[in-house]
Amino acid sequence: MKGISVSNGVAIGRVQIVSKPKLEISKKAIEHHEIEPEIERFEENLQQVLGDIDHLIENIAHSKDDKDILSTHKMILQDPEFIKKIKKLINNELLSLEMAIKIHFTDIVEIFNNMENDYFAQRSSDYEDVAYRLLSQVLQQKTDFLENVAENTILIMENISPSLVTKVFAKNIGGLCTEKGSKNSHSSIIARSMNLPMIVNIPDLLKNVKNGDLIIVDGNTGDLIISAKEELLLKYNGILETEILEKEHLQKLIDIPSETRDGKRIKLMSNIEIPQEMKQVLSVKSEGVGLFRTEFMFIGQTKLPSENEQYEVYREIAEGCYPEDLTIRTIDVGGDKLSQLLNIEHEINPNLGCRGIRISLRHDEVFKTQIKAIYRANIKGNIKVMFPMISSVGEIHKVRQIMQECETELKRDDQDFYPNLKIGAMIEIPSAAITSDMIAKECDFLSIGTNDLVQYTLAVDRDNSSVEEYYQPSSQAVLRLIRMTVRNAHKAKIKVAICGEMASEKKYIELLIGLGIDEFSVSPGRLLMVKNEILNVNFKDAESLDERIFCALEEVE
Amino acid sequence: MLRKTVEITNKLGMHARPATMIVKIATRFRSEFKIIKDNMEINGKSIMGVMTLAAEYGSKLELLVDGVDEEHLLNEISELFISKFGEE
Repeated sequence: MKGISVSNGVAIGRVQIVSKPKLEISKKAIEHHEIEPEIERFEENLQQVLGDIDHLIENIAHSKDDKDILSTHKMILQDPEFIKKIKKLINNELLSLEMAIKIHFTDIVEIFNNMENDYFAQRSSDYEDVAYRLLSQVLQQKTDFLENVAENTILIMENISPSLVTKVFAKNIGGLCTEKGSKNSHSSIIARSMNLPMIVNIPDLLKNVKNGDLIIVDGNTGDLIISAKEELLLKYNGILETEILEKEHLQKLIDIPSETRDGKRIKLMSNIEIPQEMKQVLSVKSEGVGLFRTEFMFIGQTKLPSENEQYEVYREIAEGCYPEDLTIRTIDVGGDKLSQLLNIEHEINPNLGCRGIRISLRHDEVFKTQIKAIYRANIKGNIKVMFPMISSVGEIHKVRQIMQECETELKRDDQDFYPNLKIGAMIEIPSAAITSDMIAKECDFLSIGTNDLVQYTLAVDRDNSSVEEYYQPSSQAVLRLIRMTVRNAHKAKIKVAICGEMASEKKYIELLIGLGIDEFSVSPGRLLMVKNEILNVNFKDAESLDERIFCALEEVE
Repeated sequence: MLRKTVEITNKLGMHARPATMIVKIATRFRSEFKIIKDNMEINGKSIMGVMTLAAEYGSKLELLVDGVDEEHLLNEISELFISKFGEE
């Protein structure tokens, strides 16, 4: 079987299938005076579940099929006849909300099951799913899924919530496989930052495994192997052993400072997407957060996050980082992701459209809310802010002006804040790298986002496999831009960080150090691996390696 | 009030996807919308109702619309049946 690998590493163990717990209804009937509150409770819970489904459609659902199914579920919950019927059962029969839901859906499922046409009859599963979703919301049932799960087993589920992934990790479970899910769901992000082998989106997974099967999870390739032959098992045992040894070796590096063999300090920080990753950031003793992506608060939400909501999130992470720094990146999405919230027109080419800082400057009320929340959260002075998709120094001027306005408004409203907020530009558009001398003068630091820089410099879509060969992070063009940026930053006496995926790929680390990068920011799951590489680099050698590369080039010219 | 009889001409019948399409369109209008099949009458704005009709290929449905925008509603829904819900 094969799925999408979301987190590397190999695991071998016995299958343990974890399925939904049974829902128990304790209160079945209500008194006459409880009718009104019961109906209110129905409406509140219904809205909550509809919101949850919207969130799933935006963030978790992977395929169009999954999204279609969820849209149907929404429609089932918004069905006027369904709403009428539940209210009637509560009102006329004095049933509790739970009981009304159960009775209603049991009736519907019965109707479907009695249909002669199988194609129609199988839709009963939609109604069962919806009933379960609604009932577990109403009952607020919190069950311990993992009560009877043993260490080193391979957990098999239909889908998994982010909080459960954290628990899985704490229980020393070997690996995790789900029938549904996508590469960038919050659950997958957490698994990745914890280095927990995980494969998602494996078709018919639950049909093809049973409890106790010996199974190999190859998180590096996405392969899932049941009843493997001895030879293969031997091979994987070998891989597993190497991985364990490597892990043990890396664990020993946690307290060793990040510097090259000849003593050049390289600051090593983490990239995070959601607050739950802080646990891992602290456990590998990262030197703060070099990139906190704030998109999770915006994407797939039914409304924009308020200043207070954002303030709480930023403050908590900043406190977690203290005394190290937290670098917050302002919202970096294309208009396609925010179209519902901001009324943005459809763009033919969102990658070259209104995204990153361009959205923030266009919708400055949204931007101001975010900036004010950051100012207020900066209680201990360890927050920095950086801006994505800067293409020229003009945008930094505009940003400065808006920040000034925010300060004035905060003062007017008697809000406490730390005035000296350090700002940085993301260098990820070639034009920004080329004019980095001008940008550096206006900033407190620069951060090179290699993913976009490579894409925009070479005109290659990273996710398009037919142009894979053109995606070359170490191409002369990209290296020249990085070198130019570093030199300009150092001339302006500011530091340069690198936060793209290139920074956590073994083969590029020496090269980047040689180019003069001061700070690396990588996924917390890869931080110790990167540190291991840094410790083995000799800065003098790395510098001359870069000189050789550029000399060779100049000769050709 | 307007009435119209339509026939299901797509091979798979009125399964989840066509049913969803009907309800999506119907809920955009203010008029009441009923579908009658044999002796069963359901609310055309209810996904549960439309799906429980279990209308297969070749079955005949009577559409009943009543309200300010009934004509537009009937036109759009009939169009769906004629286009075989974009299938085939």
